[in-house]
Amino acid sequence: MNKNDYMYLDHAATTPLREVAFEAYKKTEMDAYANSSGGHALSRKAKNILEESREFISSCFGAAPNEITFTSGGTEADNWIIKTPFVDQEKKSELITTQIEHEAVLASAEDVDKKGYKVNFISCDGDGITNLEEFKQSINPNTLIASVMYANNETGVIQPIKEMSQSVKEINPKTLFHSDVVQAVATKKIDFHSLGIDSAAISGHKIGGPKGIGVMFLKTGYKIPSLLHGGKQELERRAGTVNVSGVAGLAAALKEQQQNLENETKLIENERKIFESKIKEEFDVKIIGENVNRLCHISNIQFNNINSETLMVALDLNGMGVSRGSACASGAQKPSHVLKAMNIEDEVINNHLRFSFGWNIETGDGTKSAEIVTNTIKEII
Amino acid sequence: MSGGVDSSVVAGLLKSQGHDVIGVTMKLWEGPNGEMPETGCCTSADSEDARKVAAKLDIPYYVLDYTASFSENVIDNFVDMYSQGLTPNPCVECNRSVKFDHFIDQANKLNCEKVATGHYAKIVNNNNTFELHKADYLDKDQSYVLHMLDSKKLEKIEFPLGTISKPEVRQIAATLGLKTAFKKDSQDICFVGKKDYRNFVSKRIDVSSKGLIVDKYENEMGTHGGIHAYTIGQRKGVPGGQGEAKYVTKIDVENNKIYIGSKDELTTKKFLIDEVSFVNSIEYENLSIQTRYNSDDVPCNIEKVDESTYQIELKNPTLGVAPGQFGVIYQDTKLVGGGRITSKVLEEAYE
Repeated sequence: MNKNDYMYLDHAATTPLREVAFEAYKKTEMDAYANSSGGHALSRKAKNILEESREFISSCFGAAPNEITFTSGGTEADNWIIKTPFVDQEKKSELITTQIEHEAVLASAEDVDKKGYKVNFISCDGDGITNLEEFKQSINPNTLIASVMYANNETGVIQPIKEMSQSVKEINPKTLFHSDVVQAVATKKIDFHSLGIDSAAISGHKIGGPKGIGVMFLKTGYKIPSLLHGGKQELERRAGTVNVSGVAGLAAALKEQQQNLENETKLIENERKIFESKIKEEFDVKIIGENVNRLCHISNIQFNNINSETLMVALDLNGMGVSRGSACASGAQKPSHVLKAMNIEDEVINNHLRFSFGWNIETGDGTKSAEIVTNTIKEII
Repeated sequence: MSGGVDSSVVAGLLKSQGHDVIGVTMKLWEGPNGEMPETGCCTSADSEDARKVAAKLDIPYYVLDYTASFSENVIDNFVDMYSQGLTPNPCVECNRSVKFDHFIDQANKLNCEKVATGHYAKIVNNNNTFELHKADYLDKDQSYVLHMLDSKKLEKIEFPLGTISKPEVRQIAATLGLKTAFKKDSQDICFVGKKDYRNFVSKRIDVSSKGLIVDKYENEMGTHGGIHAYTIGQRKGVPGGQGEAKYVTKIDVENNKIYIGSKDELTTKKFLIDEVSFVNSIEYENLSIQTRYNSDDVPCNIEKVDESTYQIELKNPTLGVAPGQFGVIYQDTKLVGGGRITSKVLEEAYE
């Protein structure tokens, strides 16, 4: 759909493919379509693209090339890291994570829990920041993995990752500190090593890369079992023909993003602020995480006295796409576990919408979006 | 849009008449993790069918969440009624409290002029008074479950299938190329599906208290494992006599007792209905009543007891009048009003 016809403010769900990523994807698919594991000229061509991309992509996160493995996306990376290391027969190993993680982490943690391991789900405060003390207290000599997202996908609120990774290392240096950085990388430059992150999950399509490609980062020195078994691809870590075109697309998207990050985020933040201030002028609202550190592209707004399901439908009919909580299989959207974990009162838990901006934003979009929302609300109240 | 052929055709007809149509599947019922049920109706496969029909018709389509309202108004009531020895009608409760209440409100907010559903019933505009009539195609008439609608509500509603037969509906669906054209109709209670409603009830409340089954002279005929498993007129699971079949004739909740008797003892002549509402003004002439969905019309007289309670006197005594079900009054094809059959019904019958 043409950007002028429809105001797409659901970039946190996925963001449009960057032109450069599309070109790189297409070029690879056309010119280097061979299996990168093969022994002939075309395979070597694909392999070269794969490894050059790996070098570039890893460097963007301060990682070494052999520390990253390509996956089908963030969900696979999270599943892989969280589920596969729990193999001890005595079930002594423990997992720590938070109540506000993305479903990919939460469901993986629940799977670990079902297998009989102890899992701690750390609570958060009213702003959606994980309770650091509770986190520290739950670390012990049996803690195998601690998994905390860099920033929440529904509120954009940034978690105290460095403090957490440090406390993990102080109490149990053997614990793997994992971070789902899927949402954060959309608008944040992240260096894994300096933050003390031992493993991470990245998804290509949140950056303007293709869907179906992701990265699993695992610091040198750690080893985890494979999730997918089969061929010997990716240094025998992950079986399956490598999605080289996806990797090339991701590398191209990342290159453009890293070059423009400052400008992109400045514009996004500016437009988001304009949007929020105009909405605040008109309506009785609360912006989640307004006074804490959050990602610049997410604005989760609580509209007092307005049902956000009705508002979401009305906005769609008026040409704006936003989201509300997490979608279930049917397409109905439920108030999220994140807002529940934040102890948002029952009376207003159905009054939240997430507006998320993205790399293709233009000056004036904040004002235009606020106008659509304002007019729509006036129609439905 | 339930994902069935009827509401699919309604969407198609309205669209072809030039209306701006928005398709909505009401999510009424869910599993423990928010998933749509896999059996019964309102399943995720049904909403997928509705989505495909909406895509084919090129109309906006949404699944909206009414689970809280449905659970509070329909499910809790369903369970509660059985625990009181009554026979609930969840479709009426759903229409009253969810479909033609919360849903209409939401549609109004979205600036929709009307809400249309695939019910078989007819709205007749009589000088801006809106009347509710039986569907022309009587086999499918659903006016019974819509009796609580009044003229003011009917003004905001369309039932495009009121003049069409089911075979015609399927024909229209096929002509429009809708994939639901030959989909089987669902007959089950949507949240129970093909399973036994007794299990559904016993999972939610403690109904296991055992009691006696007696005849009208209080002679002990057997024992029961909970009154929720019985409804008036039920034959299954009732201890048999010598030759003559026995039926549940009365459920005494207070004393946890089930009364059984012969078919004749099920006959009712007079009973009360309460929570009575009228579509337009009250009528007294040429009335008949249906005492359950799709039952025969029995000629009757009505008499006002108080504001919301009326006494019904049947011209011919009839079988199977069950407290909890609704008595819906008609004047020929016009629906006059209706109310819930009260538990006093059988005391009348015994007199």
